[in-house]
Amino acid sequence: MELIRLEHKKLWRKTSTKISVLLCLVYVIVIGGILSFQWFTYGSRNDYTSSFGNNFDGRSMIKDSQEYSLTFGGELTDKALQQMVTDYQNMAAANLDREQQLLDRSIIDSWLEQLYPELKDTGTYYTMITYASPEKLTGFYARRTQALEDFLEINEQTGAEREYLLRMEEKVEKPFSYEFSEGWSNLLASMIAELGTVIALFLAVVLSPLFSGEWRDHTSPLLLTTKHGWEGIAHAKIITGLLFTTELFLLLAAGLLLSQSFYLGWSGWDMPIQMIKLIAVAPMNMLQAEIYEYGFTLLGALGYTCIILLISSAVRNNMFALIFSLTAVYLPPVIAQYLPFSLQRALDLLPLVGSPTDIFRTNTFCLFGIYIWSPYLLITVPVLIGFLCIPFTVRRWARRPKN
Amino acid sequence: MELSLDRLTKHYGSKIAVDHVCADLSPGVYGLLGANGAGKTTLMRMLCTVLESTSGEILLDGKKVTAMGAAYRDLLGYLPQDFGCYPNYTAEEFLRYIAALKGIPRHKAGEKVKELLEMTDLSHAAKKKLKTFSGGMKQRVGIAQALLNTPKILILDEPTAGLDPKERIRFRNLISDYAENRIVILSTHIVSDIEAIANQVFLMKKGKFILQGTIPELTLHAQDKVWELVVPQSESRRWLDTAAVASLRHEGPQTILRIISDTKPSEAAVPCYATLEDLYLYYFGDEERRDHQ
Repeated sequence: MELIRLEHKKLWRKTSTKISVLLCLVYVIVIGGILSFQWFTYGSRNDYTSSFGNNFDGRSMIKDSQEYSLTFGGELTDKALQQMVTDYQNMAAANLDREQQLLDRSIIDSWLEQLYPELKDTGTYYTMITYASPEKLTGFYARRTQALEDFLEINEQTGAEREYLLRMEEKVEKPFSYEFSEGWSNLLASMIAELGTVIALFLAVVLSPLFSGEWRDHTSPLLLTTKHGWEGIAHAKIITGLLFTTELFLLLAAGLLLSQSFYLGWSGWDMPIQMIKLIAVAPMNMLQAEIYEYGFTLLGALGYTCIILLISSAVRNNMFALIFSLTAVYLPPVIAQYLPFSLQRALDLLPLVGSPTDIFRTNTFCLFGIYIWSPYLLITVPVLIGFLCIPFTVRRWARRPKN
Repeated sequence: MELSLDRLTKHYGSKIAVDHVCADLSPGVYGLLGANGAGKTTLMRMLCTVLESTSGEILLDGKKVTAMGAAYRDLLGYLPQDFGCYPNYTAEEFLRYIAALKGIPRHKAGEKVKELLEMTDLSHAAKKKLKTFSGGMKQRVGIAQALLNTPKILILDEPTAGLDPKERIRFRNLISDYAENRIVILSTHIVSDIEAIANQVFLMKKGKFILQGTIPELTLHAQDKVWELVVPQSESRRWLDTAAVASLRHEGPQTILRIISDTKPSEAAVPCYATLEDLYLYYFGDEERRDHQ
């Protein structure tokens, strides 16, 4: 315990750690959270040319949007959809610009595009919500089922895989409950979903010198000749790394949750995730999805931490340790596009390489003929990969050099 | 307690750094003397198990030290040649960190650290960051950390490098007091340090022990090879270029040279008693001159 305490203290007193954590907090909470809620994403727009032109009134816009969404009765029915489109078109005709922005415009538009393609006017650049005839918007759930089946057909997800996904879909309660959804959409499809990508950068910067730094500081011969200088310190450093990752995650998650509570609140937490991605098959609500995404990020970050530490113990050079650590997380998505689909899916299982937004998708893995919905593996395999690295990290550190 | 080196060998590719070294070390102070590249540091790193040997074994009371693992390291204190530390740590924090690594309980570590800081005359700087320390002060921190676990085997690679004469004397006294019932191995270029404290000396050249024994035993090898010669000052340059001159002293218009030579360098030369330094120059004079050039 004493060794872990001292290693932990040693890590936190480094200037690079303090600066990295500060930058990470500023980026994720201040820019990605507070400013995004209050300004970039939800601030009312005057000219639509740039998010930076938004007004600094995000919170009041969100509250007004949430209040307005309740006027549709809390359930997504054909009638409610027709009412939304009608309202929007009336507001547009009356040039009620601010009121138009209160509606879940982009989400509703995505439903129209997907379920009512025959109403699309290819001769105009206007979005469908501006011109689609409200009375033609009928059979929402039947069309959704058809859209899902067509999607599976196009994706060649047939037979047992199709059955598996449709069995999941049967558990999704209909009609969908409805409240203001864009807030949750931005939160789950963007803010939390990208947290892993950001956290990876800062973890690599802070943790890659954990072992290799001892060689740079010429302290490794000293450490390796002490009683606990082999396995003892290696385990202490690994636990410190995992602890730091958890602490950084908790700081970021706490900051994001606080800003979410202040700006968005928890209204609509029990809406199905189909409000964000219409043909999602998972019977999950927004809160469950949020918990999944935070869990995915934490477990992925812990797995990635173990990979960083393995690299750090093997490379013995800070710069190379950093480069290889960053490569381990940022290179796979770059090369994935040149690989067969099955390999792309396999790369997604690497820590922080895959995306938590798979909960909105119909991706599966087939293991020994059994289909498994991809989020189940995406949340468990990365951390297992990481933990498998631990014995190798200890061995690499404790290995006596040959020169 | 006996530490045995059994045909210990280390190759770096085709270069042989340590060549079938054998020795049996019982408690006492052992000085390792040799020019740069003689293999002293490589030998010490193998003794500390931070470097793998190519062949041969190190045995402690008949047990292979590599197999003893943590039990061997628990008996070990080591000051590496390139002693590294954490610049943002204070001396006290650094020593407490090493104490934890050495398995010293927290409540005992504080007391031990305080004692060693006093012993190395660093009490006044205990709370100062190591990045503000001079080379000599850092070296004393290095010595203190090596002594933290009161090791039975103390290995010090160039321990007096960077120490001023007063600190060197303090260090010698400290080691002399410490060495009872313990094995202390130290390497240095500073012959007078070894002369002052070592019971046994190993003369190392090209990876081998070419001589070993007590100082009087070793200096016998240089008897009849040390000469004193008085020459006019104008001739001193010529002697420096052509002979192994151990020392040179000006007295008025004349220069007194101490020359190491197998044969009498001049009719006027008179034989002198040999010291360990003379012996060192006798064996390594050429290498030292080459290094300086």
